[in-house]
Amino acid sequence: MFATVTLALFKGFLGTLKLFSLTLLFSLPLGLLISFGSMSKTAILRLPIRLIIWIIRGTPLMLQLLIIFYGPGIFLGRNIWGSGDSGRFTAALTAFVINYACYFSEIFRGGIQSIPKGQYEAAQVLGLSRTQTFFRIILLQVIKRIVPPISNEVITLVKDTSLARVIAFYEIIWEGERFIKSSGIIWPLFYTGVFYLLFSGLLTLLFGYIEKKLDYFK
Amino acid sequence: MPILEVNNLKKSFDGDSILKGISFDMEKGQTLSILGSSGSGKTTLLRCLNFLEMADDGRIKVNGETLFDGMKTSFSENELRDKRRHFGMVFQQFNLFPQYTALENVTLAPRLANPSKDKIDIERESRMLLTKMGLPDKLNHYPHQLSGGQQQRVAIARALALKPDILCFDEPTSALDPELTGEVLKVIKELALQHTTMIIVTHEIPFARDVSDQIIFLDRGVIAEKGTPSQVIDSPTNERTQKFLANY
Repeated sequence: MFATVTLALFKGFLGTLKLFSLTLLFSLPLGLLISFGSMSKTAILRLPIRLIIWIIRGTPLMLQLLIIFYGPGIFLGRNIWGSGDSGRFTAALTAFVINYACYFSEIFRGGIQSIPKGQYEAAQVLGLSRTQTFFRIILLQVIKRIVPPISNEVITLVKDTSLARVIAFYEIIWEGERFIKSSGIIWPLFYTGVFYLLFSGLLTLLFGYIEKKLDYFK
Repeated sequence: MPILEVNNLKKSFDGDSILKGISFDMEKGQTLSILGSSGSGKTTLLRCLNFLEMADDGRIKVNGETLFDGMKTSFSENELRDKRRHFGMVFQQFNLFPQYTALENVTLAPRLANPSKDKIDIERESRMLLTKMGLPDKLNHYPHQLSGGQQQRVAIARALALKPDILCFDEPTSALDPELTGEVLKVIKELALQHTTMIIVTHEIPFARDVSDQIIFLDRGVIAEKGTPSQVIDSPTNERTQKFLANY
Protein backbone atom coordinates (compact mmCIF):
# COMPACT_ATOMS: atom_id res chain seq x y z
CA MET A 1 0.00 0.00 0.00
CA PHE A 2 2.79 2.37 0.95
CA ALA A 3 4.44 1.87 -2.44
CA THR A 4 1.16 2.40 -4.26
CA VAL A 5 0.51 5.63 -2.36
CA THR A 6 4.06 6.90 -2.86
CA LEU A 7 3.86 6.25 -6.57
CA ALA A 8 0.48 7.98 -6.84
CA LEU A 9 1.71 10.98 -4.86
CA PHE A 10 4.78 11.20 -7.08
CA LYS A 11 2.48 11.41 -10.05
CA GLY A 12 0.51 14.18 -8.34
CA PHE A 13 3.73 15.93 -7.40
CA LEU A 14 4.71 16.07 -11.06
CA GLY A 15 1.65 18.26 -11.63
CA THR A 16 2.73 20.44 -8.72
CA LEU A 17 6.26 20.73 -10.14
CA LYS A 18 5.01 21.56 -13.60
CA LEU A 19 2.86 24.39 -12.31
CA PHE A 20 5.66 25.56 -10.02
CA SER A 21 8.41 25.65 -12.63
CA LEU A 22 6.37 27.18 -15.43
CA THR A 23 5.04 29.84 -13.05
CA LEU A 24 8.61 30.82 -12.14
CA LEU A 25 9.75 30.73 -15.76
CA PHE A 26 7.12 33.27 -16.83
CA SER A 27 6.53 35.34 -13.71
CA LEU A 28 10.15 36.32 -13.05
CA PRO A 29 10.71 38.14 -16.39
CA LEU A 30 7.13 39.46 -16.37
CA GLY A 31 7.71 40.73 -12.84
CA LEU A 32 10.81 42.62 -14.01
CA LEU A 33 8.79 44.27 -16.79
CA ILE A 34 6.02 45.18 -14.37
CA SER A 35 8.56 46.65 -11.97
CA PHE A 36 9.84 48.93 -14.76
CA GLY A 37 6.25 49.96 -15.41
CA SER A 38 5.59 50.67 -11.75
CA MET A 39 8.70 52.90 -11.62
CA SER A 40 7.91 54.68 -14.89
CA LYS A 41 7.89 58.46 -14.92
CA THR A 42 4.87 58.32 -17.22
CA ALA A 43 1.75 58.33 -15.07
CA ILE A 44 -0.34 56.71 -17.83
CA LEU A 45 1.86 53.66 -17.51
CA ARG A 46 2.64 53.79 -13.81
CA LEU A 47 -0.82 54.31 -12.34
CA PRO A 48 -2.66 51.44 -14.07
CA ILE A 49 0.20 49.10 -13.20
CA ARG A 50 0.16 50.17 -9.56
CA LEU A 51 -3.62 49.61 -9.59
CA ILE A 52 -3.22 46.09 -10.95
CA ILE A 53 -0.53 45.29 -8.37
CA TRP A 54 -2.84 46.55 -5.65
CA ILE A 55 -5.74 44.38 -6.85
CA ILE A 56 -3.62 41.27 -7.26
CA ARG A 57 -1.87 41.63 -3.93
CA GLY A 58 -5.06 42.69 -2.21
CA THR A 59 -7.21 39.69 -3.10
CA PRO A 60 -6.78 35.98 -2.37
CA LEU A 61 -5.04 33.89 -4.98
CA MET A 62 -7.83 31.33 -4.67
CA LEU A 63 -10.38 33.95 -5.72
CA GLN A 64 -8.18 34.97 -8.63
CA LEU A 65 -8.00 31.36 -9.78
CA LEU A 66 -11.78 31.10 -9.75
CA ILE A 67 -12.30 34.40 -11.56
CA ILE A 68 -9.69 33.62 -14.21
CA PHE A 69 -11.09 30.14 -14.80
CA TYR A 70 -14.83 30.87 -14.71
CA GLY A 71 -14.81 34.58 -15.57
CA PRO A 72 -14.40 34.32 -19.35
CA GLY A 73 -17.22 31.79 -19.57
CA ILE A 74 -19.54 34.01 -17.58
CA PHE A 75 -18.64 37.40 -19.05
CA LEU A 76 -17.65 36.49 -22.61
CA GLY A 77 -20.05 33.59 -22.91
CA ARG A 78 -17.35 31.16 -23.95
CA ASN A 79 -14.61 29.14 -22.35
CA ILE A 80 -11.32 30.54 -23.58
CA TRP A 81 -9.24 27.96 -21.72
CA GLY A 82 -10.08 24.94 -23.79
CA SER A 83 -11.49 21.82 -22.34
CA GLY A 84 -10.21 19.15 -20.02
CA ASP A 85 -7.04 18.98 -17.92
CA SER A 86 -4.92 21.10 -20.23
CA GLY A 87 -7.49 23.90 -20.18
CA ARG A 88 -7.56 23.90 -16.40
CA PHE A 89 -3.78 23.85 -16.29
CA THR A 90 -3.52 26.87 -18.62
CA ALA A 91 -6.00 28.79 -16.51
CA ALA A 92 -4.19 27.90 -13.28
CA LEU A 93 -0.82 28.82 -14.79
CA THR A 94 -2.19 32.17 -15.99
CA ALA A 95 -3.51 33.02 -12.54
CA PHE A 96 -0.26 32.00 -10.85
CA VAL A 97 1.93 33.88 -13.32
CA ILE A 98 -0.06 37.12 -12.91
CA ASN A 99 -0.15 36.79 -9.13
CA TYR A 100 3.53 35.97 -8.67
CA ALA A 101 4.68 38.49 -11.27
CA CYS A 102 3.04 41.22 -9.19
CA TYR A 103 4.74 40.07 -5.99
CA PHE A 104 8.09 39.68 -7.76
CA SER A 105 7.72 43.12 -9.35
CA GLU A 106 7.55 44.71 -5.92
CA ILE A 107 10.66 42.83 -4.83
CA PHE A 108 12.47 43.95 -8.00
CA ARG A 109 11.31 47.53 -7.49
CA GLY A 110 12.62 47.53 -3.93
CA GLY A 111 15.92 46.03 -5.09
CA ILE A 112 16.38 48.44 -7.98
CA GLN A 113 15.50 51.48 -5.89
CA SER A 114 17.94 50.44 -3.16
CA ILE A 115 20.94 50.79 -5.48
CA PRO A 116 22.70 54.08 -4.64
CA LYS A 117 22.37 56.91 -7.15
CA GLY A 118 26.16 57.10 -7.27
CA GLN A 119 26.30 53.83 -9.20
CA TYR A 120 24.18 55.31 -11.98
CA GLU A 121 26.15 58.56 -11.98
CA ALA A 122 29.49 56.75 -12.13
CA ALA A 123 28.19 54.74 -15.09
CA GLN A 124 26.92 57.92 -16.76
CA VAL A 125 30.19 59.80 -16.52
CA LEU A 126 31.96 56.73 -17.87
CA GLY A 127 29.77 56.91 -20.96
CA LEU A 128 27.73 53.74 -20.40
CA SER A 129 24.33 53.63 -22.08
CA ARG A 130 21.21 53.01 -20.01
CA THR A 131 21.04 49.40 -21.15
CA GLN A 132 24.71 48.81 -20.38
CA THR A 133 24.27 50.44 -16.99
CA PHE A 134 21.35 48.19 -16.13
CA PHE A 135 22.80 44.91 -17.32
CA ARG A 136 26.46 45.43 -16.41
CA ILE A 137 26.24 47.49 -13.23
CA ILE A 138 22.83 47.40 -11.62
CA LEU A 139 21.31 43.97 -12.28
CA LEU A 140 23.81 41.80 -10.40
CA GLN A 141 23.72 44.13 -7.40
CA VAL A 142 19.92 43.93 -7.44
CA ILE A 143 19.98 40.13 -7.70
CA LYS A 144 22.31 39.93 -4.73
CA ARG A 145 19.95 42.04 -2.66
CA ILE A 146 16.75 40.27 -3.65
CA VAL A 147 17.84 36.64 -3.29
CA PRO A 148 16.47 36.34 0.28
CA PRO A 149 12.98 37.82 -0.44
CA ILE A 150 12.74 35.93 -3.74
CA SER A 151 13.60 32.67 -2.00
CA ASN A 152 10.75 33.38 0.42
CA GLU A 153 8.28 33.84 -2.43
CA VAL A 154 9.52 30.78 -4.27
CA ILE A 155 9.04 28.58 -1.23
CA THR A 156 5.57 30.05 -0.75
CA LEU A 157 4.85 29.22 -4.39
CA VAL A 158 5.62 25.54 -3.82
CA LYS A 159 2.84 25.40 -1.25
CA ASP A 160 0.48 27.79 -3.07
CA THR A 161 0.27 25.43 -6.04
CA SER A 162 -2.11 23.35 -3.90
CA LEU A 163 -4.69 26.14 -4.32
CA ALA A 164 -5.07 25.17 -7.97
CA ARG A 165 -7.25 22.26 -6.92
CA VAL A 166 -10.20 24.68 -6.55
CA ILE A 167 -10.43 24.54 -10.32
CA ALA A 168 -9.80 20.81 -10.27
CA PHE A 169 -6.18 21.03 -11.29
CA TYR A 170 -4.58 17.71 -10.61
CA GLU A 171 -1.75 18.05 -8.09
CA ILE A 172 -0.37 16.23 -5.07
CA ILE A 173 -2.98 17.15 -2.43
CA TRP A 174 -5.73 16.23 -4.84
CA GLU A 175 -4.05 12.88 -5.30
CA GLY A 176 -3.60 12.35 -1.55
CA GLU A 177 -7.21 13.21 -0.84
CA ARG A 178 -8.45 10.64 -3.30
CA PHE A 179 -7.33 7.83 -1.00
CA ILE A 180 -9.87 8.97 1.57
CA LYS A 181 -12.69 8.15 -0.82
CA SER A 182 -11.17 5.19 -2.61
CA SER A 183 -9.51 3.35 0.30
CA GLY A 184 -10.80 5.07 3.41
CA ILE A 185 -7.34 6.09 4.60
CA ILE A 186 -6.23 9.61 5.49
CA TRP A 187 -2.50 9.16 6.00
CA PRO A 188 -1.66 9.63 2.28
CA LEU A 189 -2.95 13.19 2.63
CA PHE A 190 -0.61 13.81 5.56
CA TYR A 191 2.17 12.07 3.69
CA THR A 192 2.02 14.78 0.99
CA GLY A 193 3.61 17.08 3.55
CA VAL A 194 6.84 15.10 3.26
CA PHE A 195 7.02 15.92 -0.44
CA TYR A 196 6.56 19.62 0.23
CA LEU A 197 9.14 19.54 3.01
CA LEU A 198 11.75 17.75 0.96
CA PHE A 199 11.25 20.01 -2.01
CA SER A 200 11.33 23.26 -0.05
CA GLY A 201 14.39 21.92 1.77
CA LEU A 202 16.06 21.45 -1.60
CA LEU A 203 15.11 25.00 -2.60
CA THR A 204 16.47 26.38 0.67
CA LEU A 205 19.80 24.69 -0.07
CA LEU A 206 19.77 26.03 -3.62
CA PHE A 207 19.11 29.61 -2.52
CA GLY A 208 21.73 29.30 0.21
CA TYR A 209 24.17 28.26 -2.48
CA ILE A 210 23.26 31.23 -4.70
CA GLU A 211 23.63 33.61 -1.76
CA LYS A 212 27.05 32.18 -1.04
CA LYS A 213 28.05 32.44 -4.71
CA LEU A 214 27.21 36.15 -4.64
CA ASP A 215 29.16 36.67 -1.46
CA TYR A 216 32.32 37.65 -3.32
CA PHE A 217 31.24 41.28 -3.38
CA LYS A 218 29.57 43.57 -0.89
CA MET B 1 42.86 78.78 -26.79
CA PRO B 2 41.56 77.81 -23.36
CA ILE B 3 40.64 74.15 -22.97
CA LEU B 4 37.53 75.12 -21.00
CA GLU B 5 35.44 78.27 -21.17
CA VAL B 6 32.49 78.70 -18.87
CA ASN B 7 30.30 81.70 -19.37
CA ASN B 8 27.57 83.04 -17.13
CA LEU B 9 26.50 79.56 -16.06
CA LYS B 10 23.25 79.49 -14.10
CA LYS B 11 21.40 76.76 -12.29
CA SER B 12 18.54 76.78 -9.85
CA PHE B 13 16.62 73.99 -8.14
CA ASP B 14 12.92 74.64 -7.46
CA GLY B 15 13.42 78.37 -7.69
CA ASP B 16 16.48 78.23 -5.44
CA SER B 17 19.29 79.87 -7.33
CA ILE B 18 22.46 77.79 -6.76
CA LEU B 19 24.70 79.12 -9.53
CA LYS B 20 24.12 82.77 -10.33
CA GLY B 21 26.26 83.28 -13.40
CA ILE B 22 29.65 81.59 -13.19
CA SER B 23 32.33 82.55 -15.69
CA PHE B 24 35.91 81.33 -15.86
CA ASP B 25 38.28 79.65 -18.21
CA MET B 26 41.28 77.42 -17.88
CA GLU B 27 44.24 76.38 -19.98
CA LYS B 28 45.25 72.87 -20.89
CA GLY B 29 47.52 71.25 -18.32
CA GLN B 30 46.38 73.50 -15.51
CA THR B 31 44.94 72.62 -12.17
CA LEU B 32 42.00 74.67 -10.96
CA SER B 33 40.74 74.35 -7.41
CA ILE B 34 37.30 75.46 -6.34
CA LEU B 35 36.92 76.45 -2.71
CA GLY B 36 33.91 77.61 -0.78
CA SER B 37 31.68 76.69 2.10
CA SER B 38 28.99 74.02 1.89
CA GLY B 39 26.08 75.13 -0.23
CA SER B 40 28.13 77.63 -2.19
CA GLY B 41 27.48 75.71 -5.42
CA LYS B 42 30.87 74.01 -5.91
CA THR B 43 29.49 70.53 -6.47
CA THR B 44 26.61 71.80 -8.61
CA LEU B 45 29.13 73.57 -10.83
CA LEU B 46 31.07 70.33 -11.37
CA ARG B 47 27.87 68.40 -11.97
CA CYS B 48 26.76 70.92 -14.60
CA LEU B 49 30.10 70.56 -16.38
CA ASN B 50 29.64 66.79 -16.39
CA PHE B 51 26.02 67.07 -17.48
CA LEU B 52 24.92 65.16 -14.41
CA GLU B 53 22.78 68.25 -13.95
CA MET B 54 21.58 70.37 -16.83
CA ALA B 55 22.42 74.04 -16.37
CA ASP B 56 19.60 76.52 -16.98
CA ASP B 57 21.57 79.10 -18.86
CA GLY B 58 25.07 80.11 -19.88
CA ARG B 59 27.72 78.53 -22.05
CA ILE B 60 30.20 75.67 -21.72
CA LYS B 61 32.93 75.31 -24.33
CA VAL B 62 35.65 72.66 -24.43
CA ASN B 63 38.50 73.07 -26.93
CA GLY B 64 36.41 75.69 -28.68
CA GLU B 65 33.50 73.29 -29.14
CA THR B 66 30.27 74.54 -27.59
CA LEU B 67 28.77 71.80 -25.43
CA PHE B 68 26.05 73.90 -23.90
CA ASP B 69 24.69 77.28 -24.85
CA GLY B 70 21.48 77.59 -22.88
CA MET B 71 19.35 77.33 -26.03
CA LYS B 72 18.77 73.61 -25.74
CA THR B 73 18.44 71.99 -22.33
CA SER B 74 17.40 68.48 -23.22
CA PHE B 75 19.64 66.10 -25.11
CA SER B 76 19.42 62.54 -26.32
CA GLU B 77 21.39 59.85 -24.54
CA ASN B 78 23.99 59.79 -27.32
CA GLU B 79 24.40 63.56 -27.35
CA LEU B 80 24.94 63.54 -23.60
CA ARG B 81 27.47 60.76 -23.89
CA ASP B 82 29.45 62.77 -26.44
CA LYS B 83 29.42 65.80 -24.17
CA ARG B 84 30.41 63.86 -21.08
CA ARG B 85 33.30 62.23 -22.91
CA HIS B 86 35.32 65.42 -22.37
CA PHE B 87 35.14 65.17 -18.60
CA GLY B 88 36.24 62.55 -16.13
CA MET B 89 34.73 62.53 -12.69
CA VAL B 90 35.97 61.34 -9.32
CA PHE B 91 33.25 61.27 -6.69
CA GLN B 92 33.37 61.92 -2.98
CA GLN B 93 31.96 58.44 -2.30
CA PHE B 94 34.21 56.73 -4.91
CA ASN B 95 31.22 54.92 -6.48
CA LEU B 96 33.25 51.93 -7.59
CA PHE B 97 31.27 49.02 -8.99
CA PRO B 98 31.30 46.47 -6.15
CA GLN B 99 30.95 43.34 -8.30
CA TYR B 100 34.09 44.11 -10.31
CA THR B 101 37.72 43.90 -9.28
CA ALA B 102 39.90 47.00 -9.24
CA LEU B 103 41.20 46.10 -12.71
CA GLU B 104 37.73 45.36 -14.08
CA ASN B 105 36.47 48.68 -12.74
CA VAL B 106 39.14 50.40 -14.82
CA THR B 107 38.79 48.30 -17.99
CA LEU B 108 34.98 48.23 -18.14
CA ALA B 109 34.31 51.61 -19.74
CA PRO B 110 37.19 51.53 -22.27
CA ARG B 111 36.08 48.06 -23.34
CA LEU B 112 32.51 49.18 -23.91
CA ALA B 113 33.62 52.39 -25.61
CA ASN B 114 36.00 50.64 -28.07
CA PRO B 115 34.63 47.17 -28.75
CA SER B 116 37.10 46.76 -31.61
CA LYS B 117 40.16 47.57 -29.54
CA ASP B 118 42.27 44.67 -28.35
CA LYS B 119 41.30 43.61 -24.85
CA ILE B 120 44.93 42.94 -24.00
CA ASP B 121 45.90 46.52 -24.83
CA ILE B 122 43.11 47.92 -22.68
CA GLU B 123 44.13 45.67 -19.84
CA ARG B 124 47.80 46.65 -20.15
CA GLU B 125 46.93 50.35 -20.06
CA SER B 126 44.66 49.79 -17.06
CA ARG B 127 47.36 47.90 -15.20
CA MET B 128 49.73 50.77 -15.87
CA LEU B 129 47.23 53.27 -14.53
CA LEU B 130 46.67 51.27 -11.36
CA THR B 131 50.43 50.89 -10.94
CA LYS B 132 50.77 54.63 -11.32
CA MET B 133 48.19 54.97 -8.54
CA GLY B 134 50.42 52.80 -6.35
CA LEU B 135 48.13 49.77 -6.51
CA PRO B 136 50.06 47.19 -8.57
CA ASP B 137 49.27 44.49 -6.02
CA LYS B 138 45.54 45.25 -5.74
CA LEU B 139 44.46 44.56 -9.33
CA ASN B 140 42.30 41.59 -8.46
CA HIS B 141 40.87 42.92 -5.22
CA TYR B 142 37.20 43.79 -4.97
CA PRO B 143 36.29 47.27 -3.71
CA HIS B 144 35.17 46.00 -0.29
CA GLN B 145 38.63 44.50 0.21
CA LEU B 146 40.26 47.91 -0.26
CA SER B 147 40.62 50.86 2.10
CA GLY B 148 38.84 54.10 1.25
CA GLY B 149 42.06 55.64 0.02
CA GLN B 150 42.77 52.67 -2.21
CA GLN B 151 39.22 52.72 -3.54
CA GLN B 152 39.52 56.38 -4.40
CA ARG B 153 42.78 55.74 -6.24
CA VAL B 154 41.07 53.00 -8.26
CA ALA B 155 38.33 55.53 -9.03
CA ILE B 156 40.95 58.00 -10.28
CA ALA B 157 42.49 55.32 -12.50
CA ARG B 158 39.01 54.46 -13.78
CA ALA B 159 38.36 58.08 -14.73
CA LEU B 160 41.79 58.44 -16.38
CA ALA B 161 41.29 55.29 -18.46
CA LEU B 162 38.94 57.15 -20.80
CA LYS B 163 41.55 59.89 -21.35
CA PRO B 164 39.23 62.80 -20.61
CA ASP B 165 40.23 66.34 -21.55
CA ILE B 166 39.50 67.50 -18.04
CA LEU B 167 39.44 65.44 -14.88
CA CYS B 168 37.03 66.66 -12.19
CA PHE B 169 37.26 65.80 -8.50
CA ASP B 170 34.29 66.34 -6.20
CA GLU B 171 35.75 66.56 -2.70
CA PRO B 172 37.87 63.47 -3.32
CA THR B 173 39.08 63.15 0.26
CA SER B 174 36.02 64.21 2.23
CA ALA B 175 34.95 60.62 2.90
CA LEU B 176 38.41 59.58 4.07
CA ASP B 177 40.22 59.43 7.39
CA PRO B 178 43.01 61.98 7.71
CA GLU B 179 45.44 59.06 7.46
CA LEU B 180 44.11 58.01 4.07
CA THR B 181 43.66 61.54 2.75
CA GLY B 182 47.42 61.93 2.25
CA GLU B 183 47.80 59.01 -0.15
CA VAL B 184 45.01 60.30 -2.38
CA LEU B 185 46.31 63.88 -2.37
CA LYS B 186 49.74 62.54 -3.26
CA VAL B 187 48.52 60.89 -6.48
CA ILE B 188 46.51 63.99 -7.42
CA LYS B 189 49.62 66.07 -6.93
CA GLU B 190 51.59 63.74 -9.18
CA LEU B 191 48.90 64.14 -11.84
CA ALA B 192 49.24 67.92 -11.49
CA LEU B 193 53.00 67.70 -11.93
CA GLN B 194 52.39 65.73 -15.14
CA HIS B 195 50.11 68.52 -16.34
CA THR B 196 46.84 66.65 -16.24
CA THR B 197 44.07 69.20 -16.69
CA MET B 198 42.06 69.07 -13.48
CA ILE B 199 39.28 70.82 -11.63
CA ILE B 200 39.29 70.01 -7.94
CA VAL B 201 36.52 70.85 -5.52
CA THR B 202 38.14 70.56 -2.13
CA HIS B 203 38.28 71.67 1.47
CA GLU B 204 42.00 70.92 1.72
CA ILE B 205 43.28 74.48 1.63
CA PRO B 206 47.02 73.79 1.99
CA PHE B 207 46.74 71.14 -0.70
CA ALA B 208 44.91 73.51 -3.03
CA ARG B 209 47.59 76.15 -2.53
CA ASP B 210 50.25 73.58 -3.24
CA VAL B 211 48.92 72.09 -6.50
CA SER B 212 46.72 74.72 -8.12
CA ASP B 213 47.56 77.12 -10.91
CA GLN B 214 44.29 78.90 -10.35
CA ILE B 215 41.84 79.08 -7.48
CA ILE B 216 38.22 80.08 -7.49
CA PHE B 217 36.43 80.97 -4.28
CA LEU B 218 32.73 80.40 -4.64
CA ASP B 219 30.25 82.11 -2.36
CA ARG B 220 26.48 81.65 -2.57
CA GLY B 221 26.55 80.87 -6.26
CA VAL B 222 28.92 83.59 -7.44
CA ILE B 223 32.67 83.71 -7.86
CA ALA B 224 33.79 85.91 -4.99
CA GLU B 225 37.44 85.70 -5.82
CA LYS B 226 39.58 84.20 -8.54
CA GLY B 227 43.33 84.13 -9.04
CA THR B 228 46.58 82.38 -8.29
CA PRO B 229 46.89 80.54 -4.95
CA SER B 230 48.99 83.32 -3.51
CA GLN B 231 46.40 85.92 -4.49
CA VAL B 232 43.34 84.05 -3.23
CA ILE B 233 44.72 82.16 -0.25
CA ASP B 234 47.53 84.33 1.01
CA SER B 235 46.10 87.75 0.38
CA PRO B 236 42.38 87.55 -0.23
CA THR B 237 40.68 90.86 -0.90
CA ASN B 238 37.09 89.67 -0.62
CA GLU B 239 35.59 89.79 2.85
CA ARG B 240 33.84 86.41 2.47
CA THR B 241 37.07 84.75 1.37
CA GLN B 242 38.90 86.24 4.34
CA LYS B 243 36.26 84.95 6.73
CA PHE B 244 36.24 81.51 5.16
CA LEU B 245 40.01 81.17 5.23
CA ALA B 246 40.20 82.41 8.80
CA ASN B 247 38.54 79.15 9.83
CA TYR B 248 41.49 77.13 8.56
